[in-house]
Amino acid sequence: MAANFWTSSHCKQLLDPEEVDVVHPLDKERGITLEDFKLIKLHMANYIAKLAQNVKVRQRVVATAITYMRRVFVRRPMTEYDPRLVASTCLYLASKAEESTVQARLLVFYIRKIYPDDKHKYEIKDILEMEMKILEALNYYLVVFHPYRALSQLLQDANMNDATQVTWGIVNDTYKMDLILVHPPHLIALACIYIASVLKDKENTAWFEELRVDMNVVKNIAMEILDFYDSQKMITDERMSAALIKVKPITPQ
Amino acid sequence: MGDGNSNASSSSRAGNSNNNGNNRPEWLQQYDLIGKIGEGTYGLVFLAKIKSNRSKSIAIKKFKQSKDGDGVSPTAIREIMLLREINHENVVKLVNVHINHADMSLYLAFDYAEHDLYEIIRHHRDKVNQPINQYTVKSLLWQLLNGLNYLHSNWIVHRDLKPSNILVMGEGDEHGVVKIADFGLARIYQSPLKPLSENGVVVTIWYRAPELLLGAKHYTSAVDMWAVGCIFAELLTLKPLFQGQEVKGTPNPFQFDQLDKIFKVLGHPTQEKWPTLVNLPHWHADVQQIQGRKYENAGLYSVVHLSPKNPAYDLLSKMLEYDPRKRITAAQALEHEYFRMEPLPGRNALVPPQPGEKFVNYPIRPVDTTTDFEGTISLQPSQPVSSGNAVSGGMAGPHVMPTRSVQRPIPMGMQRMQPQGMSAYNITSQAGMGGGMNPGGIPMQRGVAAQAHQQQQMRRKDPAGMTGYHPPQQKSRRF
Repeated sequence: MAANFWTSSHCKQLLDPEEVDVVHPLDKERGITLEDFKLIKLHMANYIAKLAQNVKVRQRVVATAITYMRRVFVRRPMTEYDPRLVASTCLYLASKAEESTVQARLLVFYIRKIYPDDKHKYEIKDILEMEMKILEALNYYLVVFHPYRALSQLLQDANMNDATQVTWGIVNDTYKMDLILVHPPHLIALACIYIASVLKDKENTAWFEELRVDMNVVKNIAMEILDFYDSQKMITDERMSAALIKVKPITPQ
Repeated sequence: MGDGNSNASSSSRAGNSNNNGNNRPEWLQQYDLIGKIGEGTYGLVFLAKIKSNRSKSIAIKKFKQSKDGDGVSPTAIREIMLLREINHENVVKLVNVHINHADMSLYLAFDYAEHDLYEIIRHHRDKVNQPINQYTVKSLLWQLLNGLNYLHSNWIVHRDLKPSNILVMGEGDEHGVVKIADFGLARIYQSPLKPLSENGVVVTIWYRAPELLLGAKHYTSAVDMWAVGCIFAELLTLKPLFQGQEVKGTPNPFQFDQLDKIFKVLGHPTQEKWPTLVNLPHWHADVQQIQGRKYENAGLYSVVHLSPKNPAYDLLSKMLEYDPRKRITAAQALEHEYFRMEPLPGRNALVPPQPGEKFVNYPIRPVDTTTDFEGTISLQPSQPVSSGNAVSGGMAGPHVMPTRSVQRPIPMGMQRMQPQGMSAYNITSQAGMGGGMNPGGIPMQRGVAAQAHQQQQMRRKDPAGMTGYHPPQQKSRRF
């Protein structure tokens, strides 16, 4: 159902981390490691956010687009589904699904603006063809729930309105990981609030206990986010380029 | 959604190899195309049968690539997005989505419904010359509200309810079951990114709620209830209740004639009865025109020929309440006294449960067998339709009348036996399957196809959906 997470396709499609961290056999052949795989998805998530700033759509569209992109690469090889084209097209499709349609020609214009010297020029036609492939890869499930929806209410309830901005930022950062494919969005929201309480030195134990959610899960998600922050510092441009070069399309389609 | 991931088949493999000789994608081979049954701005609707189970009819809605070079139309995206999430007996079920990569077209496959309220009303008005019987009106309305209650409780506003979008199943184990269709304008209204009104003017003008006509920006599920009221009145009188003249070509939702028609019947809205009226843009925009004429006498009961004391009238007037915040909700309407008195509503809206009671054989949907999936006129010998005819030769009857002439469809369904009908209700609803007693009669053709229509299914039902179905008074009329 469209407004109830527990009966939604999103809920039914949640995956175990082991199912998400699988490099497609075709990608493996090209030497793509699990680390490369994660780096490329991180890069594409950042790219979607950048593109979205240019075409001026809201964060919810960005979040939906990144979720689509991550779902696509659970089943489709990056060596056949050019990640940059997939990422751009996911933003295109998400803008339609979230009722703030962006024209394909506008998108193409900004892709060229962001990457002026990219040898690989995308045409409108490439976006439109990829749109259909992505619909298939998503198995036509387009409704995505995000942690943002629960966030402001939870923050208010926890008497943490002053932490809205920092928490919102942490939620944005969770899309650099695959958390949205694995955990219910409200638990991700709680994990972000948990981190924010630690950062703000706010004692919230009682409030969390009253929620009747599995705090072990919330804490584990929080740990994952913190681990990610740590590891992100180590990512060099060279390392990222080395991963990206492996998925360069050999021949334009 | 109840069917999980396997429900809509991903046809990517078929898609990648869809140019196998005759330019016909692989997924299409599973269907026998019968012909075209509808046409809309988005594309065409076809009737087809599944080759592996010829008792099952499918309506296939083909979306053309949008002309503005912007890919899959937002209408199709909305429809897929919502229908993939919802599952209810009184809502059409999307059984498959197909993509033809060769010409970038998209196909939505629904279970086929033989009838719709537009055709049922028209049949009574133009052919039968008598009103729709009370049991049928009440059952249709109850099921429509039941489906709408499900949608609204999931924060979905349909926004385009009208008789042609309310389908009714033909013969088979879902005979007479109402299915709300056409979600091309539907929205999830929880925290919309933009005011809904920015997506352009919606809802066919005759069924459009007054707050929309007066320019409301943030409207609610109450707009659907207004439309239900209009449909209810039309079921009673066989005439559209408020038949305003639409001013075309204006992006402005203000339609004076439509408002005038409403005011004439319901009286002028007042700020007393509708406090937020003054906040609506068009209420001020044209003070002279809008507020100039005064209609005082509410004449609704005389228009629908009901006594003001009749519960049917009471329910109708609550649906046609001016103030959207006071208008009755679908959930409240289902609890209304009208549904608790005889005749009680039933699952097969077309056939009253009492043996011996008369019922009308509604004509089946005309099929234009001269149009193929590409929308091209005239079929070649290799088209699926001809092979379909060959296969169906030994079945209940010819499925296609190989003639171009315009004919009156002759209802030729099997005679229905009441006890069987009821047992079908109890058994098939649990077991879910069911062979379909009759493949749906004999499609006839007619030069001009009716408006776009579609869908249905005889597949597994979500058990929750079933229990949700039963009207509270169901027990009393089981036999």
